Parts: sequence; C-alpha cells; structure tokens
Amino acid sequence: MSFIQSLIDGILIGGVYGIIATGLSLVFGVLGLVNFAHAEFLMVGMYVAWFAWHYLGLDPILAAPLSFAVVFLLGYAVQRHLLDRVMKASPTAQIFLTVGLLIVLENAALVIFGSGFRSVNVPYQVESFRLAGLFVSAPYLYAFGATLVVNLALWLFLERSWIGRGIRAVAQDPMAAILSGVDSKRTYRIAFGLGVGLTAFGGGVILPYITVSPTVGGQFVVLMFTVVVLGGLGSILGALAGGLAVGIIQSFSALFFPISLQNLVLFIIFIGVLAFRPQGLLKGA
Amino acid sequence: MRIVYRYLPTLSLIAMAACLPLVLNPRGNALRVAATALLFAAVAQAWNIVGGLASQISLGHAAFFGIGAYTSTILYLQYSLSPWVGMVAGALLAILAAGLLSVPTFSLKGHYFALATLAFAEVMRVIANSWVSLTGGPVGLTIPFGGSNPLLFQFRSTAAYYWVILTVLVAICSVFYFMSRGKMGYRLRAIRENEDAAEVSGIDTFRVKLWSAMISAGLTACCGTVFAQFTFFFDPDSIFHMSGISIRMAMIAIIGGIGTLSGPVIGALFLIPLEEISTAFLSSSAAGVAQLVFGLILIVAILIQPQGIVATWPGLMQRIHFRRSH
Amino acid sequence: MYALKASKLNIIAGILATFLLVCIHPAFGADNEVTIGIVQPLSGPNAQFGINAMHGSELVAETINAQGGIKSLGGARIKLVVADVPTPNTAAAATQRLISQNKVVGIVGTFVSSTTLGVSEVTERAGVPIVTFAFADQITERGYRYVFQVSPKGTAFGQAQLKYAIELGKAGGEAIDKIAILYEDTAYGTAQAKGLREAAVEAGIKVVVDEAYPLGITDVSSLVNKVRTSEAKIVFPVSYLNDSLLIIRTMRQQQMDIPVIGGAAGYIIPDFRKGLGDLAQNVLSVASSNHDLYPDLASRFKDKYGSFMTHEALMHAASLAVLAKAVEKAGSKDPEKVRDALASTDDCDGFARCVPGGCVRFNEAGLNTRAFPIMVQWQGEEPVTVYPKEVARAAAVWHAKSGR
Repeated sequence: MSFIQSLIDGILIGGVYGIIATGLSLVFGVLGLVNFAHAEFLMVGMYVAWFAWHYLGLDPILAAPLSFAVVFLLGYAVQRHLLDRVMKASPTAQIFLTVGLLIVLENAALVIFGSGFRSVNVPYQVESFRLAGLFVSAPYLYAFGATLVVNLALWLFLERSWIGRGIRAVAQDPMAAILSGVDSKRTYRIAFGLGVGLTAFGGGVILPYITVSPTVGGQFVVLMFTVVVLGGLGSILGALAGGLAVGIIQSFSALFFPISLQNLVLFIIFIGVLAFRPQGLLKGA
Repeated sequence: MRIVYRYLPTLSLIAMAACLPLVLNPRGNALRVAATALLFAAVAQAWNIVGGLASQISLGHAAFFGIGAYTSTILYLQYSLSPWVGMVAGALLAILAAGLLSVPTFSLKGHYFALATLAFAEVMRVIANSWVSLTGGPVGLTIPFGGSNPLLFQFRSTAAYYWVILTVLVAICSVFYFMSRGKMGYRLRAIRENEDAAEVSGIDTFRVKLWSAMISAGLTACCGTVFAQFTFFFDPDSIFHMSGISIRMAMIAIIGGIGTLSGPVIGALFLIPLEEISTAFLSSSAAGVAQLVFGLILIVAILIQPQGIVATWPGLMQRIHFRRSH
Repeated sequence: MYALKASKLNIIAGILATFLLVCIHPAFGADNEVTIGIVQPLSGPNAQFGINAMHGSELVAETINAQGGIKSLGGARIKLVVADVPTPNTAAAATQRLISQNKVVGIVGTFVSSTTLGVSEVTERAGVPIVTFAFADQITERGYRYVFQVSPKGTAFGQAQLKYAIELGKAGGEAIDKIAILYEDTAYGTAQAKGLREAAVEAGIKVVVDEAYPLGITDVSSLVNKVRTSEAKIVFPVSYLNDSLLIIRTMRQQQMDIPVIGGAAGYIIPDFRKGLGDLAQNVLSVASSNHDLYPDLASRFKDKYGSFMTHEALMHAASLAVLAKAVEKAGSKDPEKVRDALASTDDCDGFARCVPGGCVRFNEAGLNTRAFPIMVQWQGEEPVTVYPKEVARAAAVWHAKSGR
C-alpha cells in the first residue's frame, strides 16, 4: 500500500520537477551553457504569482501564465544585455556570469521583498482525493495537470511554429541554422526567455504548497540539476522523464533510508550519471 | 645577484606585509581583516592552480576546505593531536579525495565538471551533517581556547595568526609560481589552449590535470585548517557553503585575474576589505545590499574585463603612453 | 610571465594603503554613550527572526534612554551597533569588529544557535560578556565565563514540549502512548528532538516515528505517510515556517486531525497564522515566552512594528535589559566589571517580566535558572499562554478538530 502511495506522490511531484527542469534543459540545449541562476527565476515566478494572488485574487495556478510572461520578458532582457556578450567566451566567463546573476537576483529579491516567507491561502491546499485508501493530494494533482497542459503547448510550439523550428534548428546545428536564415541572436533570446519562463510557470503552480522567500531557489537548485543530468542535458523529453524519475526516487528512498539522507541519494546518482553517462541515463544510447 | 634582483620587488612586498602587525593594533580589527584577506588570497590561489592553470572550473572546492577544517579539528578534539599535525593529515585526506573524485570527473569539461564538483561539495555537507558521532552533526565544532600555545596552533593575538596566514599564502603562491613555469607549466598551458592538441602531441593530459587537482585540493585543505583555527567555530552548512566558500574563492581569483600569480592576491585585497566595510556600514540598514553589490561587481568584471583587475593595469599604462606620444 | 611585475606591485600597495586608511578610523562613541553590540541574522533564511529579535532589543534601549539612560554613568545613553551575521562563518569577524572597533561593553544575540556558538568563542577570548537567547545545549556547557543565556536549554524545551502535552492531554481526557517526532537537521532541531526523546523514555511513551529531515525540504508527503501509518497520537514537529506549513497542510490533506505540538520557531510567528488561516486554530507550541505575559511592552511593540511581539523579540528585549542593568550596577564601561555584575544578577522587576516567571538569575554556567518553557496555543489571531497554570492566560483546548 505504501508503495503505491509513494508511487503516486512521486509521479505527481516528479511531473512538476519535470517542467521546472525543462526550462534549464532547453537553455542548455540551445545556448550550450548551464544557467546556474536558473532556480532564481523560479523564485521570481513564485513572487509574481503571489502578488497576482494577493492583489488580484488570482489562483496561483491560473497566475502561473502571468509568471511565465513576466519572467519571459526578464529572461529576454537578460539574454539581450548580458548573456549575448559571452556566447563566444570561455566556459569560465559563462559560468561566472550566471553565478553573478544568481547572487544579484537573490539579494535584489531580499532588498525589494524583504526576508519574510509568503504563502498563499487557497481552499484546495488541504484537500485530497481518496481512492481505495490512497490519498491523492489536490494541490499536487492540479500542479501536475497544469504541467501536462504546458508540456503539450511547448511541444506544439516547438513542432509547429516557425520560431519553435528555429529554436530546434539552432539546438541541432547553429551554423547550419544561421546559413538557412535563422536569426540566431533572436533565437537565443527567445529560447532563454522561454527556458526561464517555463521554470517560472513551475514556480506558480507549486505556490499552493511551497512558501516563497528570497532563498527559495536554493531548495531547488540541486534538484533541478539532478533532473536535467539524469535526463540528459539539453533534452526536453529527457527532462520530463528525469523529473518523474527524481520524484519517484525521492519518494521511494524515504521508504528505505532516513529522509535526511534523501539528498545524498540524489547527489550520488547525479555524480554517477554525470561521470559515466554524461549524455543522460534516459537518452537512447 | 641577478636572481636576488629579479625577486627583489616580490621579497620586499612580502617583508612589507610581514611588518603590518607592527603598525596596526595587534588585537585590532584592521589586522583581522588583513589576515582574512590574506587567507582568502591563499585559498583563491589554491583554487587558481586547478581553475586557472588547468582550466577546470571547480564550484565545489569547499569540499576540500571543509575536509581540512574537520580533519584537524576532530583529531585535536578527540585525540588531542596538534592541529599542525592535523593540517598535514587533512591535506593528505583532501589529496586522496581529489584523486578519487578525478576518476569519474576528469573526462568532463567546462560546465559538466563545474556541476559535478558542486554536487561533490553538497555530498560532503550532507555527510558532515548526518554522521553525528564523528563530526558533531549540524551543531558544528568549536575549538576550545586553552591560552596561547603555539604548538597547539592557539594564539591570543591576531598578529600571530596573521603571520601564519602570510606564510601559508607565500607557500601557496610559490607552488603556483613553480607549477606555472617549467615543464609542468608548459603542459598545463598546452592543455588550456587546446586539450585535444596537447593530447595528440604526447602530453598525458589526465596525469597533468590529476596532479594539479590533487595539489590544489591539498593546499585548499591546509587553508581550511587555518580557517577553523582562526574563527574557532564552524558547522557543516557554513564550511561547505556554496556561495560563501566555493564560489567566493573562485570569484576572488576571477576578479583579480584568473590564471595569474598576482590575481588572487589583488582580488582578495580588493574584495575582502570591501565586503568588511560594506557589511559594517550597511548591515543595520539594508540587508542584502552588500551581497547585491558583489554580484554586480562580478557581472561587470566578466563583461568588461574578463582577465581581471591585473589586466587593467597594463592597458591603462598603454593608454597613458599613447596619449603622451601624441 | 607569472612573476610579479613592478606595476602589479603598485596596485597591491595602492589597495593596501586605501584599506589601511579606511580601517584606522578612530572608534566612535562619545563619553556619554554606552555601546552595546547586536548580532543577528538580518539577511539569509533566518532574517525574519533576526529582525524581530533586533526590534525587541531596540524597543528596550529606546525605553531606557527615554527614562534617562544609565544613571550610574551620569545618564549615559545606550547606543546599539548592529552587525548582520547571516551564516556562522561570518560570526567571528563581525564580533571581533564590534569588540575592537566599536568597543562594545557587551553583546546581545543571536537568534541562531550555531552562530551564537561562533560569537561566544570570540567573546570568551576577548573577555566581553554576551547575553543570548539561543538555546542549543552546548552554549552553556563549555564552562565559559562570559556567556549568559536568558532562556532554558534546548533539551529542556524538548522535555517541556512532551511533558506539558501529557498533562494537557490528561486534562483533556486522553492518555498518550505513541508519539511522532519530526525535526529539521539543524542545531536547534536536533537539540530539541533529543529532549523530546529523553522525556519520552522517562514517561514510558513509545516514539513510533523519529525522523530528521533536511532543512528546506520541498515534499513532506512521505514523512506524513509514515506518521499516519504509525498511528501516533501526537505529532511533535520541530521546524521553521516553510516546513511547518507543509507538515500541517499535508496532514490535513490526509485527513489527520491528531494534535500538533510545535517546537517554537515557525509555529509561533505571525506568518504561521497568515499562511494557514483558520487551520492554525488550536495548534499548540512550546515557547520561551509569549506576548500576553507582558501586555504593556507587547502593545507598544505592536504599535511600532505592526505585529504581535514574538518570543524571540521578548527574549532579546530581556537580554538587552539584563545587560543594561548590569552596566548600571557596575557603574562602568569595563566589560570585565559588567560580566561580574551580570554573574550576580538577581532581578525580578522591569523588563525581566519578558521571561516567564519574571525573574533572571544566572547559575555558574551562565544559564538563567529562573526561566522555564511555556506552552502556547493559537486561539483567534494570536497565540495565548495556556500552560503552566501559574502563567496561563486561558485554558487549553484539547483535541478540537483543527480549523473548520
């Protein structure tokens, strides 16, 4: 019984990890850089959704598209004014530019919003659906549902729209894409905006069960990287599968190990996969 | 004689630095800040060996820093072994850890390597937090004070700590200097410019990188021991801290000038006092502002002068000469 | 190419010189001022608690100054110098700065146990007294001369958390035989869990779940699953805010309505009620103090800072008051004399009322032997003191279905 319960919880939280990590994976796939500041955009997304809930009375899950839009613009601007300049620079410059961004975003949030924890208050926060002695948490289920919708939208966008095709072309072969007329700079900006926007969307949907504070990004940063590495850096489907895998691993490891070692299990998988299968566990060989 | 002349500026600078405690209040704050700056210069230089010379960007050097701090402190508290001995033990343990970590990670490049090291530091933090019987767990370890005792690395005055730290800094800088020259330096430069080409021309790149990683880890651990003795207290969260330790040492090297001998020293002398002053004056009014400023400095430094402060000087001189010649 | 060039030497020398100029400015503080250092986390994850605590101390300093300052020093005004210490590894540097640069007579702080351990290592070596609220057991167990703690020890909180619960349960007609302990793996969480465990053994109660979890946990469903299947009668969570909201909401999702008895920190701050709304109703928590013990001060606090006076604010108010009184008694700004005055503190009036029982007297280890933990319960908008009887302001409601 507790196995099935763990499986359900794992799949539901894993789906959300998936959407949060998809953005990171997209950025790596298209721009070829690891965005160490990525989790901070999750935090910004959570604040946007919180303010929408507080002042407009919008449900955080419905406010998530707003988080996406705001952070998309922020990401577009960051790429346009900062990251564009290091696209051809050494990995050192790229890594530390995003590290600098991490420090700036976290502390800017502290200065602007203060250090307090903010939580939303919605009725389904404490509800669940009962199925034969099992509990399906309502906020987890709704968050999972929202991520499915966004995944579908993302897939349609990448498959059907011209911009989406441009993004995929640049990810596959930047030179060839440029030669066939894709504006690579514009594509980079849209891809980065999209990447951080998707993660911010994830921030909106988790708000019913996670409180937001300036340091909330730190709680997700390692999780996010583990998901992406497991699924293969740059792979979007991989990130989704990686999210589910991490959710299930986390949930199951609680059955066998002390919960305080939960992260240790993740880190060891993380290093192991990175070392022995850097293309990702879940990507076809 | 020529050798003496060549090293004269460096030697006189070291002598000047060694005289600082005679000018400042030996138990005062300014000296403590100076000692902290030199300690971070030392650890940034140790990072620079692997980050600058071998071009492997580590975001997890706090792991080795913490190994140094924990090893010497545990040996002292449980077996009354002098931290001087513990420092050597910690360094050896860190070298071993770096060697083991190298097996799976050294084929990784750039971003991948950074990610793996970041996770390694986190693993160390979780272990230190959970293995309570050995490490004291989340409460951390304090170094009890039993009066001045140089043999046990205990001093009443900051000046003594300052001199120890200065010695460590000079030693690490010397290691860096000799590694950056000669055969080793040549090989490291070859790897930095083009690893594949280096491999093809007969350089055992894995061995060269392994050596630099182990030396860097050992020296970082020594700094960890000194840090523990100097601050008397640490816990898993603070000693394995990502932004407080791992990123900070790299940031100092980068802002000063990555891969150069003077870069980490200049970076630390610029950043640590700045940090000290800003937290002293800003902390009661606006928390976070100081850190915000550091983030901005890092971004600006990378966008405007990725070679660091060191590189601005010749450029500035050139510009002045240029103007004069007109 | 890596040798130091003369030009680079110039930069180093230049930086050194500027740095010296900035650092050697004279210690400020005029003759008619007594400087006291406040060390708190004002940024980072514990910032909110640190800021509250600082406000508590500030309020008392203002009050004393308005009443004529330190009279034995000719009405000297109290001047607070604040240092932000977000993590323990910045504690030593900040404390040293306060001592050597600002010449503080003593230090008040900090909210975080591990940071307090770091600060007190420096104050002990420098011979400057520190009055603290933090309650990890190690703080007063090192045999240090200059450490004074106004609150009881961490294990005492854990023991009280269980003992009071048993007695409240008895009054409510319920015998407790199985309990669950959930705690974050920090200095504070582990110390308090240890007390809970010890008290459970002593009372012959079975601990069916005893789990540490990492700080910043994002999913507690597996934790709550364990509690539910264990059939524990009470949950004792020891955590900060985010985890406390997660635990209670997840318990409600799984339709568990067994009593929750929190371990202070996240359970007794205004945001707990803001986050949970009516679900907060009837949640019990152990606390070091409560605003209803000292309504005059608490209402002034509320007017000034906008929310009720939390226990960390009250205890840091008491800490500052005790230190100020010691300066008054010593009639000197010499930290050594202030320490001696602190050691002989035996005070049952004024701001000592912030501490339950209303008295402060330190034993040889520097622990306030007159203080005891209390139990509070959310009744309406604010927590109310419900136990022990001599300080209770209202009766406890036992096992009422929380919320709705």
